[in-house]
Amino acid sequence: MPRHRHAWPVLFTAVFSLLLLAAISGNAQTQPLINSRLTGRIVDAKTREPLPGATVQIKGTTHGVLTDGEGRFAFVTGQPFPYTLIITSLGYRKAEVIVENGQIEIPLEPAQSQLNDVVVIGYGTQKKSDLTGAIASVSGPLLKQPVSSFDQALKGAAPGVQVTQTSGQPGGGVSIRIRGGASIQGGNEPLYVIDGFPVYNNAVTAGTITGTPVNPLSGINPSDIESIDILKDASATAIYGSRGANGVVIITTKKGRADRSTLSYEGTYGVQSLRKKVDVLNGRDFAKLRNDVLYDVTPAKGKFQYLTQQQIDSVGNGTDWQDAAFRSAPQQNHQLTLSGGTAKTRYYLSGNYFRQDGIIRNTDFNRLGIRANIDAQPFDRLKTGVNITASRSDANVAPSGIVSSLLFMPPTATIYEADGSYTLRNPFENIFANPIASINETKNKATTNRFFGTAFADFKVLEGLQVKVLFGTDVNNTQEKYYIPATIYEGLPTKGNAGRGEYTSYSWLNENTVSYSRRSGQHSFDVLGGFTQQEFSSDVVRTGAQQFVSDALSYNSLQSGATLLRPWSEASKWVLHSWLGRVNYNFDSRYYFTASIRADGSSRFGKGNKWGYFPSAAASWRVSNEPFFKNLSRNISDLKVRASFGTTGNLEIGEYQSLATLYSLTYLFGGTTATGFAPSRLPNDKLGWETTVQYNAGIDIGFFDNRLSVSLDAYQKKTRDLLLSVEIPWTSGQTSSLQNFGSVSNKGLELAVSSKNFLGEFTWTTDANASINRNEVLSLGNGARSYISGSYIIQVGKPLGSFYGTVTDGILQTGEEHTKGKFTGSAAPKPGDRLYKDINGDGTFTTAADRTIIGDAQPDVILGLSNNFSWKGFALSVFFQGSLGNQILNGNLQSLELFTGQQNAAGSARDRWTPENPSQTIPRAKLDPAPVFSDRFIEDGSFIRLKNVSLSYTLPKHITGKISSIQLYVSAQNLATWTNYTGFDPEVTSGSNVSPGTDQGIYPVSRTFTGGLKISL
Amino acid sequence: MHITKRYILPVLLLGLSACSSLDEQPVSQLVTQEFYKDGAQADAAVVATYRKLYETGQSLYNSLFQIGVEMATDDYEAGPRARNAHVRAISGLTHDASNDRMEQLWRQSYDAINAANIAIDRIAVIPDGKITAVLQARLTNEAKFLRALHYFNLVRWFGDVPIVLHEPKDLSPEALYVTKSPAAAVYQQIITDLQAAENLPAPGVYGKNDIGRATSGAAKSLLAKVYLTKEDWANAAAKSKEVIDAKWYALFDDYADVFNTATKNGKEHIFSAQFLGNAGYQGNSLGSRSAPNEVPGINGDYADALHKQGKLYESFSSTDTRKAVTFITEMVSPVDGKTYTFEPHLHKYYDPAATGNQGQSSKNLPIIRYAEVLLIYAEAVNELQGPTAAAYEAIDEVRERAHITKLKDVAPALSAANFRDSVFQERRKELVYEYQRWFDLVRRGPDYYVRTLHAAGKTLAAPKHIRFPTPQRELNLNPNLKQDPLWINN
Repeated sequence: MPRHRHAWPVLFTAVFSLLLLAAISGNAQTQPLINSRLTGRIVDAKTREPLPGATVQIKGTTHGVLTDGEGRFAFVTGQPFPYTLIITSLGYRKAEVIVENGQIEIPLEPAQSQLNDVVVIGYGTQKKSDLTGAIASVSGPLLKQPVSSFDQALKGAAPGVQVTQTSGQPGGGVSIRIRGGASIQGGNEPLYVIDGFPVYNNAVTAGTITGTPVNPLSGINPSDIESIDILKDASATAIYGSRGANGVVIITTKKGRADRSTLSYEGTYGVQSLRKKVDVLNGRDFAKLRNDVLYDVTPAKGKFQYLTQQQIDSVGNGTDWQDAAFRSAPQQNHQLTLSGGTAKTRYYLSGNYFRQDGIIRNTDFNRLGIRANIDAQPFDRLKTGVNITASRSDANVAPSGIVSSLLFMPPTATIYEADGSYTLRNPFENIFANPIASINETKNKATTNRFFGTAFADFKVLEGLQVKVLFGTDVNNTQEKYYIPATIYEGLPTKGNAGRGEYTSYSWLNENTVSYSRRSGQHSFDVLGGFTQQEFSSDVVRTGAQQFVSDALSYNSLQSGATLLRPWSEASKWVLHSWLGRVNYNFDSRYYFTASIRADGSSRFGKGNKWGYFPSAAASWRVSNEPFFKNLSRNISDLKVRASFGTTGNLEIGEYQSLATLYSLTYLFGGTTATGFAPSRLPNDKLGWETTVQYNAGIDIGFFDNRLSVSLDAYQKKTRDLLLSVEIPWTSGQTSSLQNFGSVSNKGLELAVSSKNFLGEFTWTTDANASINRNEVLSLGNGARSYISGSYIIQVGKPLGSFYGTVTDGILQTGEEHTKGKFTGSAAPKPGDRLYKDINGDGTFTTAADRTIIGDAQPDVILGLSNNFSWKGFALSVFFQGSLGNQILNGNLQSLELFTGQQNAAGSARDRWTPENPSQTIPRAKLDPAPVFSDRFIEDGSFIRLKNVSLSYTLPKHITGKISSIQLYVSAQNLATWTNYTGFDPEVTSGSNVSPGTDQGIYPVSRTFTGGLKISL
Repeated sequence: MHITKRYILPVLLLGLSACSSLDEQPVSQLVTQEFYKDGAQADAAVVATYRKLYETGQSLYNSLFQIGVEMATDDYEAGPRARNAHVRAISGLTHDASNDRMEQLWRQSYDAINAANIAIDRIAVIPDGKITAVLQARLTNEAKFLRALHYFNLVRWFGDVPIVLHEPKDLSPEALYVTKSPAAAVYQQIITDLQAAENLPAPGVYGKNDIGRATSGAAKSLLAKVYLTKEDWANAAAKSKEVIDAKWYALFDDYADVFNTATKNGKEHIFSAQFLGNAGYQGNSLGSRSAPNEVPGINGDYADALHKQGKLYESFSSTDTRKAVTFITEMVSPVDGKTYTFEPHLHKYYDPAATGNQGQSSKNLPIIRYAEVLLIYAEAVNELQGPTAAAYEAIDEVRERAHITKLKDVAPALSAANFRDSVFQERRKELVYEYQRWFDLVRRGPDYYVRTLHAAGKTLAAPKHIRFPTPQRELNLNPNLKQDPLWINN
């Protein structure tokens, strides 16, 4: 290595000398003849904002200049007036203007087509028109939604991207499936590449706090993001090899614009509220229910064993636990940005404060972050840059089980006892704590410090030959604090329970790439090759204590607890080494070919299986550039067909899974601790990645000068060697073994339509997308046809997320006990019991044997529709999002329809079967606490939602004066929802691989109204 | 070319100088191949095997015996707070081969057996110099004792079961698809292991920090029980006599001391599952499972209830000192100071030191204790020679300690059959909530079991219930396993 280190100073000196020489020679030019002087300004035709960096050229000459930060340019030439200027600027239509005299302002119309837009792809960029793969880009209004993390803004944003909110907790997470989930036990989340740094979004906690962990991506300020590009097909993702199978989301943060300094402040303030409450019984109705139950158990004691009629009358509505817990909560965001630069240095600096109070009391999330993106070109041949963000976020997380308890807590119970202390718990047999006491008194905090940055140097060796070295680091530290005081139910046994935990992770990345591009006649080549390495290590420490004399010290004085909990620490690490290569070739902008390969060596896999190879190939034909095409259709302005195939992998299984690691256990001898070790698993040297082979075919068509563009993609993904915890006989001493077994397929269609309906002073654009995905399990380990996981079944021929349960068949009516009683599953059937279908036809009903598939969580279609209008300074954006054909397991309802009188019940209990009301759908009240999972609790989860409406007004220039722009806006999030789902919200369900689509005790999302102001200087 | 050499190669070479290796070196976990190398590590393997007596949650000797087995007797039922459908099924005798508590009996037993197998196999190959021969032999025999204990449970629950004596080498079908052995062969394996374990240190030899490990006394006592279960009366009598004559053990004067935390591992205790609350371990969860839930501040679970129709509570005479230790009918609330009375609740493992948090009860669970050895001896002698004086003497030692009249005084001339009934009745009362009832019922055959349960109102009891079905999961995953004939088409 030392020999090479000397090369750099030599090089720098050489480049520097060259620059100096150029500068000196510039000064030595002779004065030309002057015939005209022109000064002018180039502006955006719509916004009248100046356009820096536009090229202005005198037609018929080679004389051209660039506009400065104010959009200004000047010509002092030998050319006499009048002459013609040609103005070009990226994203605008080329203009030709004849100039007669010395001053001019030229407006440029924005380009109709996005074909010249640059799309960020793995390890590079490409013009949209040159793409061979399936890539969706998200930018503009959708990224301006008031959300805590950018992944929430991807809902409905692009075809083939299904986003499920897994919790409405402030800073809570989403689960994203790009072209369907394939892995059963491995991770299914896409790989995020943030300014070149690959991140797998794992919500890891130290295990100290309870409830939904904070989404790690919430540490990144969404307002700093310029664009999001979603790589979907294998041609696009194979360059990410063993991490590409779930799709790749590339995040590019904002950069400064040359020659134009802007200082802007943006502030928003919003109010969030619960969209809808769940219908549960009030005090009176609950008291009647409990009376009915007690009477059913012991009729001898009469019909008013719980409360007398008089007492019932005085109970009234009782406590509304939802009202007590939910609130309308503020949300605010403040951002100060300074950006700008010179031709050689650009900077973007921002500071951001975001605070979101949760709609459940005592929950919140706030983030303070800064970002610095600096790009510099210190020498002609060297470009360097750093992108750095540092943030601190604090969250008060809702303790787990709170939302369920709010629904189950009987309305006849009160929040406080008569003496002002908390009611401890549900007074009845089903014991759980008073949720309001839990919310108010439990401390459940997570604080995360994150530093994230990349730095690169890109050196031009020769024309077209670039060498790039990138280093990156991601440092994350999460501290968790937990305290349950002795005054609430959960704290009684432990007399105060304090916990502290810390999760620290550190990842570094080094990428070294060489790229070469060459245009030669009609041939155009881009070649990329490189080596990358990434290492990730993490540590967890947690400790705690119990039995405190006073709650005042909370988690801040563990040593004062009488009982110290056994501390815990662990550490793990993974390493990934990769070689990558890609060739893009096109002939005459008509025939495009791309081939890529990545070789990944991962520490996570078995000894004999460390390295994997992930190739891809793609071709596209830009039919519209064929000479014959011009005569075929005048309306079709662009036509391209694409096809690709390739192989990607998934390695999200965690570390050390191939090794027979040991875990520690303790036992007691003579009252003292002895530590033992036992194996956690059997070793599997052959453990390797999941492999996905994907085929994609697509067509892009532009009509009417590309005012209407349509993209259609069809794909087939087959994932094999699934990382599956294959069940093995217990006689082996183990329950399962992680093996590569089984396969899953995803097939789908994606449609994106983009239309400029009106252009001019009034503009109206529409972007719509729709996609369908069909998921199917093709095979499972060890020849198994299916396995049941709780309320779900994974079955060959069926999609993942299939609900497996019993089928209801009405209600047992009086006199039917002997004929139909055996279909109630009850040993002593009574009229009013629920009847079930005898699925296996054995003449009787049992919960275990009479189950079948009763729905699945996979949507038939997911939709996004965005309309943007603008007129003068007004801009209106209306965004709908939807999911059709998916089912939700309403887990809250399943518990609420037990009608045991031991906890509150669903509103449907008002219509329950009684001798006077022989209901055919709602069973009687009875003391049977065992829930039976049936199709009753599978609901249509389809919804169409007015996700975001925002209206902004930019003040006219004559009012703002020297201030460059002032914009005011209001927006509403989740304004209206059309759904038949009866739970809190159809959008918020579990997002796990095997059991998606369950809504059980999940923190609901809110409806938010926001107002904001943006001032730019 | 020189450009390649000067600029590109260095960049790529940066890559080759990768600072990190792809080999996984877990820093916070040990790996099997690198473990089991010396005496301390050998001990760790055996300690782990002990812990598998109750590992986490509802585990073998920490309530699984109760909810997975004892519920299916005339003495117990799923209490009002036992919401789990599988537990209620066992209590109501509607369980099938997919019952998850019963599956756990199988899983956890084989898990423990596998831990013992690893210890036995790996300790055997630790080279001289790394472990003393004495320690090597002792640890191996402790593991064998534990392995025998688990096989003894398995053979009684499931009848014919696979005998697995070595850890699986890999994931191949040959390694994983074991076959069942006849119950007789399983018993032979149990006896072989226990005979080896008879060479363990005698009771009293272990140092203070090893109290609770298996001893030769434990091996011999368990062996006597194995012989008794096999109806090998001569060996049962001889082996229990050997334990009695060795005078290692004696009954506590006060029955309460059997369950007092202060008298843990005392003279009557032969082998117990060791519990200690609030010390980062699990406590004995029976403390909580039996405690009432309506008394403020007690926070009981009341998931293990007495089956009233079985009339166990009523079978105790009023002078019987065991009654007050075994049951409780009233408690004073530590919160409001009021006295609450209720139906009899099981009370043996209620730990006054863990008020309000009985899940942290520090009371040990006796697996075998001296009172039972006396009753084994009485039963075996009676079966061999009829109710001899020695048989009377043994049962009366137990009755006397309980302050009830000696059998010799009440019924001095019993027939062998009636004496047998007396011994079983004494076992029932002496060993309440010690995971013995189901074994004692099925030991007397299907007719007796069915008759007894029907008399107690559990009318779904059938002859097949003297065993548990082989878990359906195991049949599905291992083509070499067959269901117990008792459970086919039943």
